[in-house]
This record gives sequence, structure tokens and C-alpha cells, in this order.
Amino acid sequence: MASVVFEALSKQFGPVRAVDRLSFEAQGGRVTGFLGPNGAGKTTALRSLLGLVRPTAGRALVGGRLYAQIDQPWRTVGAVLDAASANPGRTGRDHLRVIATAARVPASRVDETLDRVGLSDAAGRRVGGYSTGMRQRLSLAAALLGDPEVLVLDEPANGLDPEGIAWLRNLLRGFARDGRTVLVSSHVLSEVSQTVDEVVILSHGTLRFAGSLDALGDGSVTIRSASVERLAALLVERGCEVRTLSRDMLEARGCTAEEVGRLAAERQIALSGLSDAAASLEAEFLRLTGAEASSPRPAGAASRRITMG
Amino acid sequence: MRTLIRTEVLKLRTVRWPWVLFMAQIGLVILGVSGYAIARGDQPIDAQVALGHVGLTSLFALVLGLMAVAAEFRDHTITDTFLVTPRRERVIGAKLVVYTLLGLAFAIVTAAVALAVTAAWLSARGASLDMGSAAVWNTIVGAVLWDTGFAAIGVSVGALVPNLTLAIVAGLSWIALVEGLVAQVIGSGLARWLPMAAGQALEGLSIPGRELLSPWAGGLVLAAYAVVLGALATVATLRRDVT
Repeated sequence: MASVVFEALSKQFGPVRAVDRLSFEAQGGRVTGFLGPNGAGKTTALRSLLGLVRPTAGRALVGGRLYAQIDQPWRTVGAVLDAASANPGRTGRDHLRVIATAARVPASRVDETLDRVGLSDAAGRRVGGYSTGMRQRLSLAAALLGDPEVLVLDEPANGLDPEGIAWLRNLLRGFARDGRTVLVSSHVLSEVSQTVDEVVILSHGTLRFAGSLDALGDGSVTIRSASVERLAALLVERGCEVRTLSRDMLEARGCTAEEVGRLAAERQIALSGLSDAAASLEAEFLRLTGAEASSPRPAGAASRRITMG
Repeated sequence: MRTLIRTEVLKLRTVRWPWVLFMAQIGLVILGVSGYAIARGDQPIDAQVALGHVGLTSLFALVLGLMAVAAEFRDHTITDTFLVTPRRERVIGAKLVVYTLLGLAFAIVTAAVALAVTAAWLSARGASLDMGSAAVWNTIVGAVLWDTGFAAIGVSVGALVPNLTLAIVAGLSWIALVEGLVAQVIGSGLARWLPMAAGQALEGLSIPGRELLSPWAGGLVLAAYAVVLGALATVATLRRDVT
């Protein structure tokens, strides 16, 4: 199965080091989220992987080969890098026919993929009249034309409505279930946290974290209540690990926010605040990519497969 | 390579602008020949000069070529093009072949239209077009080759300057203005070797006060421009980061 491997890849644009010795692996059967704020170097890294940008040092491989060395690469790797990439005067179907012809993909795949992304009805219309979401779907259709082993998507959720995001999630999950590799970038963790298995976090061109999503967040629930002591005792009884943060604040592990809320309701304990693991994920993401993370340092102990170049 | 040529042909067939450009080219040549004939008044129409207007459409041939690469950068389709075909030199090669041949085809039709319009004006004045004249054929064939060369040059310039607006402004201002100004600076002896002058030389017209190469030399010079620019465009395209 073709995995994606970055090996100490760097890219310098004039005085700007856009990507600095980036190393990580995206494996088959997993959806890997490639996260970082805008300008972190995600797009440059992905474009280097796909042979569009020449790295200053290091390399990135797909299935052990440089992209440019793959014969008929569109049948191995499908990519969406720029959702606006279509001639506005061409119809959606013709846009895909052009790519299918160049990629030597059977013409029958055009209508199949249009159907798969739900654009069959709009296929005969010029792309100039498409909405942003429709253009995203068209780009995805182009990426799926060659029935690839590897999908590389740069901010695919931009412009998609909630229904579209759910649809995309199912598509990517299904792709990974088939054992294929998905590398998907986003600047918003919450957008992909329900989709990804693995997380790679980039900030200022430098790797901050690479590991499973579970390893990123500590899975803790933060609780605010006037009766912390009573609640803490009840939670310990239920097998939760509890730490008192302040006079009215608790941190619990090993139980979900829902369980804490239900328990508090049963025992008629008033809660003044309850935040779950998703919030702690977001907090960790912001901490890793925020100002305090601007000096390079190794990622947390829970992280795996990190090789700082 | 055959796949890439088929792809480029499909790209051209699925948009409308090539036909708009073609119709404009035909319109321009009808206007040019007729304008000349009307301006002659009672004086006889020189068929060679009338047909020489075909060479003016080299402007459209240049724009046609410029669109090949630069329009893909404008629409960001160049990303998909290079993802599907990482061998970028093949993409440039296919575009050079297809757009040069399309420039040739447009020019042949334009020349045929020019012949018909010229013949019509001549017969209206009681004269006739001498199709056996070697000079007339020199002008027709020369003008067609001028267009063809400019289509090829356009593809390369568009690859060197992938900003479409900038490429078109630069290309058209060279034709309309800059080459003339450069000619004044370097003198008429050297100015014969500039691209527009080489194209004009191909038509074999004797223009008073104008120093031109022979048609053969003009053709070779134009071909040399196309080859050198094609090589530069290929190298630049291979080195470019597509961001």
C-alpha cells in the first residue's frame, strides 16, 4: 500500500523558510490530518510532495518514489490543491474529460465520478456558474478519476456546507477503510477532528506534533461547580481519575462530559461549567501552533513516528 | 505525446475563445483588404499589397499562442495539467505543436478569405486576380508562415511570462509600438532582424523607405526566434515553482 513519507523536506522562498526539515509519514488505511494555521507551510509541503514545487533540501515520496518518477501518477495519487482551478467557460463534464484524456483514464469514469460527487445534474453547465461548494466537488471528482491509492487534499472543506462536510467525511473514511492513504490539510482542527485518525501539526514551517488524534488531546473533561469535593468523590467511585484544579474546578479523565453531566443531574449537583475533550484538543492545537510554540521544541511524550531532521 | 496532443485539442474544442479570435481575425482581414481597395479610389489595386493584409493577423496568431500556457496559469488549471503530466517539457511540446498548427490552419482560411475579397474588389474595378503570379503566391504563403511563426512564438512567450494580462500587453505593445522604437535606436540595418520585420520580409513586398531581409532570410530568422524562445520557455517551465 502506498504511503506518503516526508524526509527532512525544506523549502526556502527567498528569505522565507516556508518548510523547515519536515519529516512524517501518512500510512495506508489511515486518514492523516495535516494541520496548522494559514501560512504554516502546509500548501508548500503538499506542492513539494506532488512535484509542483522543487524542495530546497530533503524529499517527499509516495510509495517509495518521487512523484515525478511515477508512471501515470494520476492513477496512483489524486489531489485537490486548488478548488478554483477550472476554465470558467468549460462545462464540468468537459473539465473532467480533459483531465481523463491526459491521464489516460477511460472516458466512462467521467460520468461515474460526477455521479459519485453528486454533480451529474450540473455536469453540462459551465463551471463559471458553479458555487464554491460545487467547484470543490468538481475538484474532488477530478482527483477521484484515476481511482487512486493516495488522496492528497488541501483545505477541501473550504466552501462546503455542513452537509458537504459530512459527505466528505464519509468519502474519506471509506477511502481509508479500503486501506488507501488520505492526507488532508486544514487550518481548523474541529473541521477534521471527526475525520482523521492521525494528526500532523505544522507551525512556522516546523513540525510540532505527529501522532494519533487521541495522543494529541489528553481526553480530559473540565468541570466547574460549587460542590467539587462531593462530585470528585462520586467520579472516583465511578473509576474516573480526578484532579482538583481550584476551589471550584475539577479535571477528570476516563469519563466523558456526557457522563459527568448525567451524574451531576442524578445527584442534583449544580454545574457552572463543563468542557469536554474536543475543547481540550482545540486548546492543545492552539498551544502547539500559537506564539508560545514559536521556538522549536520536541513534541509531547505521547507522540509517535517523529523524526526531527 | 499523442495523448498530450489529443488533450490540447480537446481543451481547445471545449472552450469558445479560439473561435472568437478566429472570427476577429477574418473580420480584420476583410476590413484591411476592403479599406485598402476603397482608399485606392480610381488608382489600380495592387493584389500583392491587398493580400499583404493577411500578415496583420499575426497579431491574433500571437494572442492565440499566448493563451496556450498563460491562460492555464490564469485559471489555475496548470496545477492539474502538471500533476497529471509531471514531464512539463512534454506539455510545452504538445502545446507548441497544437497551437502552431492551429495558427497555420487559421492563417490558411484567412488567406483564402483575403484572396476572395481581393478578387471581388478587382473584378468590381474591371480587373482580375492573376493567380499565376509568383509574387502573389509569395505574399500569400509568406503571410501564412508569418502567422504560423507568431503562434509558436506566442506559446513560448506565454510560458516565459505566465501572467496572461502582462503577456498580452507586452506582446501587443511590441507589435504596435516597441519594435518601431527599438528600430529607431538600433538603426534600419539591425532592425531587419527583429521579429515583426522578419515577418514582413516573408511577404516579399517592397515597401518604400523600408529595409527588409529577403523572404527566405526572413523566414529563417522567424524560425530561429521560435526555436530559441521555445528552448527558453521549456527551461523556464521546468524550473518554475507552481505555487
